[in-house]
Parts: sequence; structure tokens; C-alpha cells
Amino acid sequence: MKIWKKLALASTLVLVGLSAAACSNNSSSNGGNSGSSKLTLWVDTEQVPYYKNIVKDFTKTHKNISVRVVQSPNGSANAKTDVGKDPSKAADVFEVPNDQLGQMAEAGYINPLSPQDTKKIKSDYIDVASKGVAWKGKIYAYPYAQQAQTLYYNKSKLSENDVKDWTTLTSKGVVGTDFTNAYVMWPVFFSAGTQLYGKSGEDLHGSNFASEKGVNALKWFAEQKHNKGVMQTSNALNQLKKGNASAILDGPWNAANIKKILGDNFAVAKYPTINVGGKNVQMEAFLGIEGFAVNSHTSNAKAASQLASFITNKKAQLIVHKEAGQIPVLKSAVNSQAVKSDPVAEAVIEMAKPGNSVLQPKLPQMAAFWNGAAPLISGTYDGKIKPADYMAQLKKLQKSIEKK
Amino acid sequence: MFRKKHVAPKATYRETFKKGDGATKLSFFLMGSNAFANKQWVKGIVFLLSEIIFFVWFFMSGIPALKLLSNLGPDKTKRVVYDASQGVYVTKQPSNSVLILLFGILAIFMCIAFIWIYYLNLRSTRNNYIAKRDGDHIATNMEELKSLFDSRLHSTLMTIPLLGILFFTVLPTVFMISMAFTNYDRQHPIAFSWTGFQAFGNVLSGDLAGTFFPVLGWTLIWAVAATATTFFFGVLLAMLIESKGIKHKGFWRTVFVIVWAVPQFVSLLMMAQFLDYQGALNNILMNLHLISSPIHFIDNQASPLVARITVIIVNMWIGIPVSMLVSTAIIQNLPQDQIEAARIDGANAAQIFRSITFPQILFVMAPSLIQQFIGNINNFNVIFLLTGGAPMNSKYNGAGSTDLLVTWLYNLTFGQEQRYNASAVLGILIFVISAVVSLLAYRRTNAFKEG
Amino acid sequence: MKSYSAQRRLSLIGRYILLTILAILWILPIVWIILASFSYNDTGFVSTFWPDKFTLQNYIGIFTNPQYPFGNWIINTLAISLASMVISTFLTISVAYVLSRLRFAFRKPFLQIALVLGMFPGFMAMIALYYILKGLNMLNLFGLLLVYVGGAGLGFYVAKGFFDTIPRAIDEAAEIDGATNWQVFLHIGLPLSKPMIVYTALTAFIAPWTDFIFSGIILSTSGNAKDYTIAYGLYNMVHTAKGNATAYFAQFVAGCVIIAIPITILFVFMQKFYVNGITAGADKG
Repeated sequence: MKIWKKLALASTLVLVGLSAAACSNNSSSNGGNSGSSKLTLWVDTEQVPYYKNIVKDFTKTHKNISVRVVQSPNGSANAKTDVGKDPSKAADVFEVPNDQLGQMAEAGYINPLSPQDTKKIKSDYIDVASKGVAWKGKIYAYPYAQQAQTLYYNKSKLSENDVKDWTTLTSKGVVGTDFTNAYVMWPVFFSAGTQLYGKSGEDLHGSNFASEKGVNALKWFAEQKHNKGVMQTSNALNQLKKGNASAILDGPWNAANIKKILGDNFAVAKYPTINVGGKNVQMEAFLGIEGFAVNSHTSNAKAASQLASFITNKKAQLIVHKEAGQIPVLKSAVNSQAVKSDPVAEAVIEMAKPGNSVLQPKLPQMAAFWNGAAPLISGTYDGKIKPADYMAQLKKLQKSIEKK
Repeated sequence: MFRKKHVAPKATYRETFKKGDGATKLSFFLMGSNAFANKQWVKGIVFLLSEIIFFVWFFMSGIPALKLLSNLGPDKTKRVVYDASQGVYVTKQPSNSVLILLFGILAIFMCIAFIWIYYLNLRSTRNNYIAKRDGDHIATNMEELKSLFDSRLHSTLMTIPLLGILFFTVLPTVFMISMAFTNYDRQHPIAFSWTGFQAFGNVLSGDLAGTFFPVLGWTLIWAVAATATTFFFGVLLAMLIESKGIKHKGFWRTVFVIVWAVPQFVSLLMMAQFLDYQGALNNILMNLHLISSPIHFIDNQASPLVARITVIIVNMWIGIPVSMLVSTAIIQNLPQDQIEAARIDGANAAQIFRSITFPQILFVMAPSLIQQFIGNINNFNVIFLLTGGAPMNSKYNGAGSTDLLVTWLYNLTFGQEQRYNASAVLGILIFVISAVVSLLAYRRTNAFKEG
Repeated sequence: MKSYSAQRRLSLIGRYILLTILAILWILPIVWIILASFSYNDTGFVSTFWPDKFTLQNYIGIFTNPQYPFGNWIINTLAISLASMVISTFLTISVAYVLSRLRFAFRKPFLQIALVLGMFPGFMAMIALYYILKGLNMLNLFGLLLVYVGGAGLGFYVAKGFFDTIPRAIDEAAEIDGATNWQVFLHIGLPLSKPMIVYTALTAFIAPWTDFIFSGIILSTSGNAKDYTIAYGLYNMVHTAKGNATAYFAQFVAGCVIIAIPITILFVFMQKFYVNGITAGADKG
């Protein structure tokens, strides 16, 4: 009869059988742990060259471990989704921004550090760094950099004194910034005296921005729409270059680009003070800690931990500072000459101090927070949300980010 | 040569089994034995082999796969334990429900496939039995193989494409549909369980309902507007180029086709910058003194209405060249007699267009218009690359004012929240909407006739 | 009589003016993209129509960028699109021919199933596709080729419409002369469908050059930029790390222009076949 159909199906069967076999092979090879091991390390694309050098030193001392340094699919900012797509195919060691740490730990994508390493990080690293990578009492990543936004400005147009206060800053110059970005703008709520997930940043019901203070922060956003010295832009760098903006709020990752644009007129300072709710307060920023975490699916947790620890040691942190302007978090590296003489590092370290910034919370609910906060701030700024609705909107957001 | 089509007297399987010889009886248990008895060894081997492979597979991994499918894996929570010998923590992973689900579905496919092969085996056995009973010729190996290139050519040509469709379209689609009935989300990223219609509840009446219905409304408006504008203006443009006296028609057409040809991730990503508040278009308009202050076209400060209109206009920029090309061909093939007659009767150009040309084009294009409509419901590129959903909407959950269902679906999967089950539900709902719309439309136009 | 011809002249001039304005509107953004690719840019954003400063550096940069092996991408994409072109065309044309010319029991159900399958959005299927390819250990260019080719059997609509327009009498004459179905397909069906083959082949050839989503899902895990196809590679260039978009934007635009040129030429060449296919398919109504 219809031989061909049978043939087709038979070949389907064989194919499926093969694929099933291939898969079961894959999963069973997971536990293997021999003398020599192969590791993969994910870093951002432009970091590949210098991490290759750092890793070379590592393999010199760890002869039985070979390491492949490759770029992560969508960058460390998307670690959560890249790893989540298929944790078993993700690298053994990868970079994690700390606001995703809680979710990745909860999901079981990453392993906590061993007691010895935990002790080391608590004693040798600056205080915020070890806090930034801790989740429910355990440390989940080897920190290597701190990030906080600062004010970059054009020295020829603004003086050091001009940038100390938002009012003078925006009357003498123009600040280019993005009110659609909650990472940049939310910290005004901290300046206004509210908390996100409590003092610790880990308390699910600890937020208190649905309050008079929170409304003050929203009022501040709405006022900025009418401030001639504030420019809403999706491309602050371009505006800075064209001279339309004389200052921008940006992070250390863009410092090199800004230096190129401003040349000798490059200057950096901590955030100015702002007037929220009738009080002059420091404008705050989110403090982020970048770290390397060990994939919980790795077949060689020990070697992976050694690698993660090595690529975040003092020498490595200084290389990364030199190459990419990342600000170290190891006490001895922070105190080194190279970092001390870097004005960007100085400004970021200043911003990292308590009162100037707040550590990004690590709860998994941060996902809902980012989704909800941006439209709220953006809508308030451009007037789509009316003052009468402020309280209701804040309550709605607070409720939605407390959900399990 | 004429193939004789004689209708063999039927025989039931019961009769085949009762009255058949030993090999025929054996065929009901050991597939292919009847074929071997009739020297159709190719067929026999295929049958026998598939039975052996199936049963080996079924007992080795089929049964466990199906068992696991019932609860998507027994181990729902991870355990982090300290491995003192190595001095590190290791995580004991929970069951990988994605793989369990995928292999479970594969196992079901395999079982269906085997039942079908078994049925083919029975049918072949019965036919041989009938041929023997009636003293007819039983096909030889060569005849069977030859028929693959003649009366059964369709099977030869369709096998590989069918396999491709099965593995790369049907299997993933069934997988997607199953996902909608689980709690596969941020909280259950590795091990998840069956939860029935809970995810549907979230989308239709739970926390996503406030986003779903408005986005659905805009998706439908968008699909209608995008299809209608590109079609209507495409026809007009084609008529303009085709009108009497215009020279170098090919050149004019090519100018427009270029826009269509540039890959969308290039043209649309750049268009987003072109339309930015501080972008080139606002610059040009300001320099020409057409506007006094820049316009927010598609950024977050834009009003939803302006952004939606802009998106539709940009879509016209991309879509009109295609429909222009198509209508050109139709216009060139339109019967001229009716138009001539109308002209003699004194109808002007507008009248001819309204009552003759346009209806004719519409008639010919109806099926492809419906397909375009479905395509526009799923038009990911224009929204994703151009606006990314902007302007933001504080009333929505994870979507902006220009987001379509399909881009929202993408955000739910790959964005902040990773709600896989909810996006699977959206996928199913998009399918339902597309199916309903096209069913109604095909009924209406009646143009979809089976050739 | 004179006024009539003057009126016609006027109408012609009016139409030319309208056409010119439209053509300028359509082509303006494209010109701008090309200009942008030649402009010096270190801010990741082009805010003017006419570049402030011209440079060829973007084009040199894209070919010498150590992180983004543009040359490899072109080779990968070329290989995959050629392979996909040959296989998909054969599969699509076969299916279309079979569905149009041959009659068999499974035909109608297949047409209906194909219609239904086409209505599911493809995104959710990507997760399953990823795991299927992973199971086959094919998270690479070959796996991507399978994905492109795998759906070829469903892309038969245009070609089937074309075959439907060829009179069946031709086949029947050949069958009376004793030709098998295979011979009819080979010696009559295929030669007649030359424009359709060109159209299908070009469509299949172009697809890998523009798809950045499937290629991203399948190729990104390898972490090896040398394995990317051009669409994903370029997209990835400006969509990964913070600060990357700024640094590589100008090169990205240059890269886009480079690949847009051959595709545009192919499209212009293809428009005739495209039109024939669509109208042939629609005519049966």
C-alpha cells in the first residue's frame, strides 16, 4: 500500500528516537566532574578583549581549567532573560546587575557563594558592594563594579558652583535627561523621603511612596515640564554635542563617549540638590553593583567559583577600570592611585555614599516595578496624569509591586 | 496506457482476520508479516522495523515521558545544598518542565503515528487478502516503488515538507497551546504545573484584562486602517502611474519599490530616529517654518492619537509600494470594453474609477486583502522597531499605547515579567480572532473557492 | 479643440508634479539613511538631514571591527540563504504542484490545516523550536537553516495559485501519451513554472538577510559572534550593552546600507515575478 507514508513515519520515528537519545545524553553529562574542566564566561561584547587577558592569567595558575570568553547574547543588562531562556546552555559564570539578583536566586539560576568567599567579600569589599549582592542573608555574586549616575557637564558653560543646585543649574544651563527612564528618575522619590521596599530594599510590603511625600516627588516631575532649563530627550549625548544641552545625567558606562564629545570641557560632579516638597534635598540616584555569578547548572561549581573570584580580584578590577571606566568595589582597588585620580570614579564613589543614593532593591517584583514606574513618571512629566490622580496612581503602583 | 480501476469487493477487518492465512493473522500482531508472505519485502521491513523501534522506544522512554506529562515532573522546588568536599554550594535542580512537556507531546505524536502505521499495515493486509481471495494480481516490490513516481507522486513530494511542518510548525504550536494551561511564569521558571484555565482568567478578567481589551481594540483598528489605507492609496498610485501620458512607468514604480526592498529592521529603526522629537524631520519642518515648535510624533511624550496616526502613516510608506505593484498588474489586465462603454456614455474619470475599476480590483484582491488583514494583526516589525509600544501608558500592564497584541505578547515573554503562560494565552486568542475574522470574510466574499 | 488639448497638457503636468512630490516623499528617508551612513557620528543619534561632517570611516570601521566580524556574517548569511533558497524552492514548488495538480485523500484536510496553522503567531513557537533544535544539538547555522526550510511546505499559496491557472489539458495530453506523473511534473510542470521558481527562490533567498528574531534566538547562545547572520549581528550591535549603541551606531548604519543594496537590486528585479504570482493566485476568484 502506501509505502512512502510508512517510510515517512518510520523516518520520523527514527529521528525522534535519535533526538530523544541526544537529549537524555545531554542531561546526564551534567554531573560529570573530572580533573580538567571547561568553563564558559559571558561578558558584554566590548569587554571580551580585556577579559580574555584577565582569564589568561587565570589559566596560567589553574592549568586544568580551560575558559572560553564569549559575549553574552543580549548584554548583562538582560542577564535574567538570557539565562532564563535555557539555564543549562548559559555560561558557567556570567555578569548580573544586582536588581535582577533576587529573581535569579529565587529562580535557582545562581548559586550562593561558599562561606570562605562570603567572608572575604564581607571584609575586603566596600560595605555597599557586599550588601548589593546579598539576597536573604547569602551572597550570590562576586562584585566588581559600582554604578551610579552622576552629572556630566560642559566646563565652558557651567562652573563648579553652578552645578551644585538644580535651580541655578537649570537657570544658567540646560540639563538633558530622560523622564521616561525610571532608573534615572525614580530616585527623586528617595529625595522626597519615601522608601522602595523598606529600608533594606528587601521588604515586600515596605514601600511607602503612596503618600504625601510621594505626591511631592510627582509634583517635582510635573514642574520640570515648565522648566526651560530642563530638556526631555531620548538622545542626551547628541544634544550635549550640539550644545543644546550643557549638562546631562548619565552613568559611568557612557563616560568615555562623553569625554570624546566634550574633550577638554569634560567635567563631572555629583547630583545637585533639588527642591522637593518645599525642602532643599540632595537629588539621589540608584546605586547598582555589578557582579559575576556562578550558574547553578554548571557541571563544575568549584572551578566556576574560582574563575568568578579571580576575574573580580584587585588586578582585574583595575584593568576593567582602566579599559571601561568601571568603578572598583574592592577596598584596596578603590584606594589605588589610578582610581583616586579619576574624576568620574570620584564622583561615582561620592554618589555611592548613603544619603546620595539608594541600593537597587533585588526583589523579583522589581520587574513589575520597572514596568509600572516608567509610565507613571513619564505621564506625570508630560501632564497625561492629572494632579488629582497622583495619589490614586501611586497607590495602584504600590499595590501592583507588592504582589507575590 | 489506461489504468484499470476495478472496484474490489470489500472485506471487513474481521473477515480478514478470521479467514486470512497464518501470515495475515500474524500481521495483526507482528506488523509486515503479510507483506513478507507476499514478497513485498520493502514494505515488510518498513512495517516490522517501525514496530520494533516503536516498542523499544515505548518501553524505554515513551512510558516515562507520558507519565511525567501528567504532572510535568514530580520535583517542583530547587534545593541549595552545601557540598563540603568541594567547599561550594550546589543547587539540586527541580524537574525541567519545559523538556518534560516537549517530550510528552512528542510521545503522544509518536503514539498517534504508530497507530496510523498500524492502521496502514492492516489496510495493506486487507487489500492483499482481498486480492488473493479474488485471484487478482498482488503488487510486486517494483510496482510498489514505481507507483511512488506516478499514482503516488504526491506522497513522494509531500513527505519531506510534511516532516518539516510537523517538527517546526505543528509541534511548536501544540507546545504553545499546552503552555497556556500551566503556571509557567517568573515564579515557576523551571518546574511548573498544570493549572487549567487560570492563565486565561488572568488575561480575560484578572490583572491583564485592563490591558488586553484596549490593546485588542487598537489591534483591530490598526489592522483595518493599515490594510485599507495601503490598499486604497496603492490603487490610486498605480492608476496615477498607469494613466495616459506618463512616461518611464518602470522608473517611477522602481522608485517606490526601493522603500519596500530595504530590510525593515533598517528602515524602521532609522525611521524612529527620523521622527524623534529632536530628529531630522522636526528639524526640516522647523527650518521650512512649517511648524513653530517640534512635534512629538512617536516618543513617550506623544499623545496616543498622534502616535497611532503616525504609525499608520509610516505603515503606508512601507505598504503602499507593494499594493501599488499588485494593483498595477490587475489594472493592466482589466477588461477595457466596460470602461470604453462607460466613457462613450459620458462618464468622467472619477465615475469610472468608482463604479468600474475599483470594484473590479477589489474583487480580484479580496482574498489577498484578508491575508493582509491577518498579517497586520500580527505585524510585529512596524510597532516593535518603530515605537517599541511608546508612548507609555500608565493604565496598561507591560504595554504602551501603540502596542499590538503580538508585541505585547513578545514583551510578556522576553521583557521584564516573563509571563510565558499569559503570552501563550494571547497567542491562542490572536489565533481565535484571526480565524473568526477570516472565516467571516471568506464567507462574505465567497472568493475563496477550492480549485 | 485647442482648449481641450491644453487642458490635457495641464492635467499631465499636474500628474507629473504629484508623482514627483510623492516620489520625493518616499525616497527622502532612504536618502537620509544613506547620508547618515557617511556622516561622522559619535552620539548614536542623527538629528540633521544633511550630515555635519562626511566620512568614510564608518564603512572602513564595519569591516575592521574586531568585536563584530561583518565579513563572517556576510559569508554565513550568503551560505544559509543559498542553501535555504535551493531547498525551500524545491519543497514549496513540490507542495504547490501536488496540491494544485494531483488529487488525493489528504489534500483538502491539508489545505485546511495549513490555513489554520498560518494563523498562530510564531513567537511562542520559538521556545519550543529552540528546545527541539537543542535536542538535535543544532543550535547553529544548520539548525537555523532547518527552521527556514521547515516552514517551506506552508508557503505554497502564491505558487499554487499560479499552477491553478495552467490548463489541465496539457497534463492530460501527456498522460495519454503514457507519461507518469513524475515525468509530467519534471518535463511540463517545472518548465512552465519558471517565473514562479524565480519568485519563490528570491523570496527564500532574501528571508535570512532580514530575519533578526529567529536567528537571535537560535544563534545567540553560542556567544560566538562569528556564527551570527547579518541581520542578527547588526541588530545585536546596537541592542546589547549600555554605551554600545552610542559607540557603534554609525557603523551599524553603514552595515545596513551595505546589505540593503543587493537586496534592493534583487527586489527591483523580482517585482515583475512577484506581481505575476500574486495576480495569478488571485485570478481564480
